[in-house]
Formats: sequence, structure tokens, C-alpha cells
Amino acid sequence: MRERLRTVIVDDEPLARRELRRLLGEHPEFEIVAEAGNVDDALPQIENLAPELLLLDIQMPGGTGFDLLEKLDHTPQVIFTTAYDQHAVRAFQVNALDYLLKPIEPERLAAALARVRGENARDKPQQPAAPALERLFVRDGPRCWFVPLREVSLLTSEGNYVRLQWNKARPLLGRTLATLEARLDPQRFFRANRRQIVNLDFVEGVELGVSGRLHVQLRNGPEVEISRRQARLFRQQTGL
Amino acid sequence: MSKNRNYWLLQLGGWGALAAAQWYAATFYLKLEPLRVAVEVVVLNGAAVLLTHLLRAYMRAKRWDTLRAGPLAPRIGVASLIVGVPLGVLNHFLSISALREPSEELNGFEVSTPWDLAHEGFNWTLTIVLWCVVYFVILSGRRRREAELRQSELARALHAAELRALKSQLNPHFLFNALNTVRALIAIDPARAQKAVTQLSRTLRYTLSPDQEDQLVSLDQELEIVDDYLALESLRLDERLRIERNISEDARAVRIPVMLLQTVVENAIKHGIAQLKDGGVLHIDARIEKPGLILEIRNPRPVSVPPATGKGEGVGLRNSAERLRLLFGSAAQLHLDLDEPGGALMRIVIPSKSIAELA
Repeated sequence: MRERLRTVIVDDEPLARRELRRLLGEHPEFEIVAEAGNVDDALPQIENLAPELLLLDIQMPGGTGFDLLEKLDHTPQVIFTTAYDQHAVRAFQVNALDYLLKPIEPERLAAALARVRGENARDKPQQPAAPALERLFVRDGPRCWFVPLREVSLLTSEGNYVRLQWNKARPLLGRTLATLEARLDPQRFFRANRRQIVNLDFVEGVELGVSGRLHVQLRNGPEVEISRRQARLFRQQTGL
Repeated sequence: MSKNRNYWLLQLGGWGALAAAQWYAATFYLKLEPLRVAVEVVVLNGAAVLLTHLLRAYMRAKRWDTLRAGPLAPRIGVASLIVGVPLGVLNHFLSISALREPSEELNGFEVSTPWDLAHEGFNWTLTIVLWCVVYFVILSGRRRREAELRQSELARALHAAELRALKSQLNPHFLFNALNTVRALIAIDPARAQKAVTQLSRTLRYTLSPDQEDQLVSLDQELEIVDDYLALESLRLDERLRIERNISEDARAVRIPVMLLQTVVENAIKHGIAQLKDGGVLHIDARIEKPGLILEIRNPRPVSVPPATGKGEGVGLRNSAERLRLLFGSAAQLHLDLDEPGGALMRIVIPSKSIAELA
């Protein structure tokens, strides 16, 4: 039998949670491992259980579903459940998630769950052994994204924030570069200098600058200087 | 401004026309000396302008405009006599007094019989009565137009309030969450689900039905609908919503604007209790005190949220306050107190005088 996908339900209304539980009963490949009624209760459970799927309400006391996602290190797949906030969910710019309108239609739920299963099967083989970050939820003003980290070419520290360079977008993340670095895949991300981390997959070329320092040219991106301290490490890791 | 201008136009125009007629008649029919007649009619009608203007000031000071026809008529009679007789005497000593009986020979400066004097005084008293009648007819016409304007303003404000109430009542969040609750209940407690459908229907019907044009309902009627609404929200929020009601019996019959309490309770839940993880107690108090009916709705709210958040809320509150003022006058109050960091207190006062009038 296939592995069951662990699922967490977050909704402030007990009856709404019960209804979801009942509807999910039709889909035995999903296992409900926890329920929470607000952001504060949900946060530790999701971090501990690291579920594959989150069924998430938007309007909750003490913080919205978006607030919860922003605080999570582990970002599971998310299906929003909402009575009337579909426009809020539509605000997602890229890789939009699924959302279900309450009262939830069983057919719509089945379709959303099928998508989750498909995504999960595709993601699985790529997942590294180490629990490195795969995906980040980023909110910048009115816009939200789920950013796959392998598509991020450059991370630049801006005080207590980190600016991501992701295709054409430059979202700002509410974490420090140091805390983020600890969770990144070291095979892919390299600390170029005090302020910047580059994605090695995006390195197009390396030059020796006039100052004697290495300069890395990123695909569709700027040149990044490698600090003297990091230069040796960089040569080792890239075999240059 | 324009009221005053109209007054002067009529006042000067009316007396001016009379003066012109007198001058024309005295000059062309009696063949009196035009210049002398001109001076006389200016003096006479000028005095009339002055005296009637003083009369107007007196009537305004004494608020005669608030009197009914019964008490007004004798007052006008006396006032006209007081103003008319001096004008009659003045007229009597002018050469144009010959206008009264043009066939007689001119004897302008001779003192004639007391009968003639009385006749002049009577004529002028009658003229002033006429002046007063015109004055009050114009005034009452204006009053009626103003009342109509106020009425239509009230109707418009009510309409807006109803619309907004309707919108907030048909808050899609509430509606769809309630439907979701019903869906959940159908599986686990069909009897409760049936009850919930009834309550939801009643809530919707109360807001949608057109038979609410009478604008006022008894507090008891409004409470019934608030109860239906609260029952639905209790299903949804479960133990997070706790309700404490304290309604004194004598308050139940008082008539209040329809949807007023419902709107306030809805806000208390939406912005207060539903925002709190552990919910809280919603207090609904109604009692009769010295100033009148006191309605108090108290609820906890998140401390972090700064008071007076959304622009829409401020408008809603202002609308309700405006509606109260139009229906009950300036003694009616609606005040939202957010001074306490973790709480909100809505206080509505409907003055006893208005309660008595509407009973």
C-alpha cells in the first residue's frame, strides 16, 4: 500500500473541522495527524509533524492563514478553505494553490487532493536526505508566493530581511540571512560574501577582478563578488 | 440670507406699489400737486414699512410662528390695531386722505370729524391684518417645505441605513459559514440542522422583507432576530461565544429603529469575539433609566487592534447615529467607547420623551 499523506487541518470553527474530517474520510490515502483552531496552536504542530498537506482557513482569530504560512519553516502543500476569501487566494501571483469554497463540494475536494498527490509524487525523488528547505512562503505587500528555492538565484541581506532574486520577482523575506543559511541545501547555495548567498546552478562564469578577487556572473543577474575568505572554499566546491 | 432678501423684496415691493397707486390716483384724479403727494406717500408708506418691520421683529421674538390659528387670530387683531391706528391718524392729516372719498372737496389740513378719524384708523388696521395674513401664509408655506425636506432627508438616511444594514447582514462570510455549519450538522445532528435552517431563514427574511418600512420595531421583536443570529454564531464559534443578557421587562416594549441592535451585535462579534482565540462574553443590557432607554452592548476585543480601524466601520457608526438623531432628536445617543484596551462598549440612549411620543 502507498504511503499515506499526513494532513493537518487548521480552522477556527469546530464544526468546519468536523465537516472536513468527514469529507476526508472518503480519501483514505490522506491521514489527518492534527487539528488546530488558530495560528498559535497550529505552528508547533506543523513544525513537529512536518505534514505533507495543510488544509488552511484564512480568517482566524489571532492571525490569518497567510500569517501562519509566513512563520513556517516547513512549508507543506496547502489547500485553502474559505467562506469568501477566494479573491485573497487569487492574489497569489505564481504557482497558485488550490482553494476550496465553503460549503466544500466533495468533487472539488477530490480534484484538489488528486493534484496534491500528483505534486507530491513528482517532488519526492528530488527531495534530499537532509531536511533542507525546499519551498518558502513569501509575502511582499499584497502579493504572495510559494517560492521553490532551487529557482532562487541570489539571496541578499537587507538588515533583518533577505531579498530574494527569483526570476523577475524580488520579494523580501522577513528573516535574517544567517537563519536562512542554516536551512539551505549546502550543495546548491554558497555564501559568497558577508551579504550574499548565490545559487551555484545559476553561475554562468567566473572572472578574476582587478582587485584580485573572484567575480561570479549569474544567469540573468548581477555580478557577485566572492570575498577573500570564501574564495578558496569556492574553488574547492566548484572544482575551478 | 435669501429668506431675508425675499422678505425685503415683498415688504418694499408691496408698500411701494401701494404708494405708487396712491400717488397716481391723487395726482390724476384729484389733481393734487404731484410733488407734495409724492412726499406724503413716501412718508406714509415709509412709516408703514417701519412699523410692520417692528411688528415682525416683535412677532419673531415672541415666537408667534409656533402658535395655532386660534390663539394667533386675536393677537393679530390687537397688533394690527396698535400699528394701524397711528398710521390712520397720520394718513388723516395728509392731503391724500381725500382719496377715501374723492367726491368731497379738498380739506386736507382741516381737522375733520372724529368719525372720519376712526374710519382711517379702521382702514389701516384692516390693511395691517391683511399684511399679517400674507406674512403668516408665506411663513407656513415655507415651514411646510422645510418639514417635507426634513422628511425626505430622514427617508434617505433610513434608506441608506437599511441598505447598509442589509449589506452587513448579508455579510457573505456569515452566510457561507452558516451554510457550511448546516452542512456539517446534517451528518451529525439532523434535528439541530433543521433548526439552524429555520433560524437562518428567519434572519434572512427579517433583513430582506419589505414590510419593514415602519422603521421602528419593539425591542422584543428585534431581540428575537438577534437571538436567531446569535444561535447561528454560537454553532459556528462554539464555546468561544458566551452570551449574557440582562433585559428589564419595562424595556421590552420600547420601539427602536429596526436592525439597530442587530447591526451592533454583529459588529461586536465580527470585530471583537470572533477575533479572539478564547472568545469571550457578549453582554446585552437594556433598561429604563431617567434619560430613557439605555442599551449597552459590551464585548472583549483584541488589544493589538487600534481603535476605529476600517473606514467602513466609522461610516456605519455615523449612519446609525444619524438615523437615531433624525428619529429621536439630538437627545438620542450612540456612542462606542474603545478606551478600555481589551474591550468595547456601545451605549445607545433613546430619550424618554421620544418613547412617550411614539407609544
